[in-house]
Amino acid sequence: MNRTITVTVNGLAYERTVPIRLLLVDFIRDECGLTGTHIGCSYEGRCGACTVQIEGRAVKSCMKLAVQADGKEVTTIEGLRQGDKLHRLQETFRRYHALQCGFCTSGILMNAVDFLNENINPSEEDVRRALVGNLCRCTGYSHIVEAILAASAMRHGLKPAPPPAETEDAP
Amino acid sequence: MYPAPIEAYFAPKTIEEALRHRADAGDDAVFIAGGMSLMQAMKARLMAPRALIDLNEVEELSGLARGPRGVTVRPLTRYRELARTTALRGALQAIGDAAATVGDRQVRNAGTIGGSLCWNYVASCMPNVCLCLDATLVLTSLAGGEREVPIDEFLIGPLETALRDDELLIEINFPRSNDRGTGGAYRKIGATVDGLPIVGITALIEADGAGVCTHARFSVGGVLPTAQRFDGVREILRGRPGTDAAFAEAARAAADAIETQTDHLASAHYREVLIRTLGREVLAEAHARAMGW
Repeated sequence: MNRTITVTVNGLAYERTVPIRLLLVDFIRDECGLTGTHIGCSYEGRCGACTVQIEGRAVKSCMKLAVQADGKEVTTIEGLRQGDKLHRLQETFRRYHALQCGFCTSGILMNAVDFLNENINPSEEDVRRALVGNLCRCTGYSHIVEAILAASAMRHGLKPAPPPAETEDAP
Repeated sequence: MYPAPIEAYFAPKTIEEALRHRADAGDDAVFIAGGMSLMQAMKARLMAPRALIDLNEVEELSGLARGPRGVTVRPLTRYRELARTTALRGALQAIGDAAATVGDRQVRNAGTIGGSLCWNYVASCMPNVCLCLDATLVLTSLAGGEREVPIDEFLIGPLETALRDDELLIEINFPRSNDRGTGGAYRKIGATVDGLPIVGITALIEADGAGVCTHARFSVGGVLPTAQRFDGVREILRGRPGTDAAFAEAARAAADAIETQTDHLASAHYREVLIRTLGREVLAEAHARAMGW
């Protein structure tokens, strides 16, 4: 019923004895204490909030058992920034107001990072299609799409379209 | 939605090791590939296997190769790879069309062609595409050895195939076809973008240099009991130039011939309309590709 596994999450190896039926998302949240990976539906694989990367590929972590990640490298939202520096996509999400409640954001970022890694110069249509597996119920996606396109443009040293309304911080 | 307790889990590295686990584990063991359907069934408790034999580490089950007899796609090849490879040309472009629009990115990163075939869900793309492209499947077991099964005999009904309990799908073979002069295409309409098809259509066209159709195959998915081929399309198109009128006539005949069902997604009539309209577009696309347009 149980099995001892070692999963490397964000560079740290977690050795745990877990039930075989434990879903990877629960391993990440409950065993590793990394609660940035969210559960937005009832493990139905519908919402994409639990998206993480296994060996660099975005997958929904409710669709995998923890034992299937034994010996593998998993990256979660907590592993995205490098030191004090946010990932470019995290920066553009902030600048372009690509989130409201933020619940879906970590899953979208983990998917979008993988997407930009394999798509050099995506169109808006490509970006929208890439987001099919991630539900966002606040933003209507427009700002998310803009933020991903902006990150893509910046990667090529291009000046991205300006954010919708860049406001000064209140004094 | 959570799997029932699972007693044993194996992650073999070779086909032989996988088969041995299957033989040892008995009836309540199942193979798991990408898990995009099986995990859902387990979480919904439609299935509660005692043991899981995970095929994801079996490297010899993955990848595709062009050989003298045609193209071999190994069953663990993921949609992502099928959608991106340049090895699927001519008629086999239909596989790429389908793989590129299955589910969503995360599903395409994990799901496999072999898993989809062995699951044979009514509203899925791969059984339909493989039926049109006349695939032959190689199945193997420790007790029975290898056997080849044509796709027509493999697909039996909803969630039902000719695969025996102890058998493993190890190859999907597509017959040799000329890259030039042959075109394949697949399209579907689902309730959501890239969603499960209400109707999905695959077409294959062979045409001569003047655009006259010399051969055609046409199959429809999303209908009961399983994906169906309609050979009447070949009779209608053979010897005719690839015109919109010819494709419309062929698709109309298919819509008339194929029985459609009403379910929570769509009415039988709507499915007929989709076969007619989508069918015409897919035939035209396959023809355009055959001509190299």
